[in-house]
Amino acid sequence: MDRALKRRLESRFEPVLRGPIRQRHDQTEIRIGPGDVSEVLRTLHDEPEFDFKVLADLAGVDTGREMQAVYHLWSATTSDWLRVIAEGLPREDPRVPSVTFLWPGAEWMERETYDMFGIIFEGNRDLRRIYMPPDYTSFPLRKDFYLPDDSARSPGAGVRHVERTHSPAGAPADVRREVRS
Amino acid sequence: MTTETPPRRFPVGTHPSADDPRILVHDDYEAFEPVPPYPPRTEREAEFYTLGEGELLLNVGPQHPSTHGVLRVVLKLEGERVVDIDPVLGYLHRGVEKLCENADYHQTISQVDPLEYISSLFCEWTPVLAYEKLLDVEVPRRAEYIRVLSAELNRIASHALFMGWFALDLGGLTPILYSFIERDEIVEMLAALTGQRMLFNYFRIGGVNGDLNHEFMSRLGDWMSRATTQIEANIGLLNENEILVRRAAGMGVMDAETALRWCMTGPNLRATGVPYDIRRAHPYSVYPELEFDIPTKTEGDSLARYLLRAEEIKQSLRIIDQCLERMPDGPIMAKLPRLLRPRPGRAWAAIEGPRGLYGVYAISDGTDQPFRLKIHDPSFLHLGAVGMLLPGNLLADTMAIMASLDPVMGGVDK
Repeated sequence: MDRALKRRLESRFEPVLRGPIRQRHDQTEIRIGPGDVSEVLRTLHDEPEFDFKVLADLAGVDTGREMQAVYHLWSATTSDWLRVIAEGLPREDPRVPSVTFLWPGAEWMERETYDMFGIIFEGNRDLRRIYMPPDYTSFPLRKDFYLPDDSARSPGAGVRHVERTHSPAGAPADVRREVRS
Repeated sequence: MTTETPPRRFPVGTHPSADDPRILVHDDYEAFEPVPPYPPRTEREAEFYTLGEGELLLNVGPQHPSTHGVLRVVLKLEGERVVDIDPVLGYLHRGVEKLCENADYHQTISQVDPLEYISSLFCEWTPVLAYEKLLDVEVPRRAEYIRVLSAELNRIASHALFMGWFALDLGGLTPILYSFIERDEIVEMLAALTGQRMLFNYFRIGGVNGDLNHEFMSRLGDWMSRATTQIEANIGLLNENEILVRRAAGMGVMDAETALRWCMTGPNLRATGVPYDIRRAHPYSVYPELEFDIPTKTEGDSLARYLLRAEEIKQSLRIIDQCLERMPDGPIMAKLPRLLRPRPGRAWAAIEGPRGLYGVYAISDGTDQPFRLKIHDPSFLHLGAVGMLLPGNLLADTMAIMASLDPVMGGVDK
């Protein structure tokens, strides 16, 4: 855990941060809104005090309530991985700015995330499906996409069934489970 | 189940190339017309499939020996020069991430195994490392050393195979036979340790599946006594080959800034002069205790990428020597319940594989299955950069460039 990085991030991104900065093991996590993505990542990449030159990963997440775009960054200035979570993307129309202006290599990662989650990366020049056939209409990694066969079962399935009967009444009906983290 | 095919964008005889008397067009083929039978979805796609003066589209794959798996590439050519390329993926897509989200934590290890089938131990290591962060497990030191030992052996096997493959793609048949001697010996060795030749399924959450045994150790000792000379000989076979050197030098040149912007990692990034190796840049396991160098080159061309891998083999041999010397006694598994239910949380783990950064982003929601498992594979990004490297080169050199990036389609397509 790099406390100095936490202080630097706090002083720099105070107005755009959503919630406190979390640190666990070798990871530092900040949460921002989708509108701030290009500005925050540009600052992290260009400013010498951050100098995050390596975009290690771009992942989409469907929490059941909302979509998230998650970026993992590496810099020589810190011993931590930095995780930037763009949260609060509505499930009906998730949109987030593209980071291909900083990392052209992110183009394929954004295509993959679009293919699997339907998240639209505004500014990506080539946002089309990459794995699934072009006439495919749904997004396989969304939580309301069920697997029909036996691979959906596991030794713990019975345990979870009991849990679900105790879940709160207001939980959305169309999602299987929700993340509580 | 309907068997109707979508209407063809270019019915027989109306393809743009058909007007050109210099080009022979088979009108009766059905399988892989380069132009897709549907309207373009993005501006970039429209631009790519619009032919300029003197250009033609050539379909390579999906079954082509030099595409290293099931990959289809549409090349836009002007004469013999490549103008642009459009790789078409998905022929090997299995939806591993979805399968992992519907399997429990132990089962996911065997699901991710066949991703990079050349170096499966690295595919297993990343999720195992991420789950250990989620569970706050301390892995016994002997298990860590066994992991490093077996993974470095696997790295040598992967790099040795790459060197033969690279020569094969440039038209030389002999080197791959020699590299399979090394690979086969290592694979047999690992089979003695893990029980499998290819998809090892050896790492477990909190340790490894089995302890070092007599057959593995005797095979390893036997091989180590002659490995250095044999690998030197194999490298000499290629490095001093003028045809290979001339064909690979100056091909697909990249500078450090471009490589970072295109998210390159591993040997392909180090060949441009950036000493970025996760084993040193963000240490994991017992790598901080081991002595090894990070070789770099500054040319950034195909030859540099090839020579760098040869250097890495020597460094891996050093690491194996140190592992054998320092191998501690003790247990090989941490004490863990059979049904794992980590506390809700998020974890990211990254390791240095033979091709670059392997990463796993795992989210737990408190149940026995990962809520989200994102697998990051370097081959995917390296293949994405081929579109930037190829234009301007000759058709015959496309394979010299693509092979030097060493993509494995199992990892690209997930």
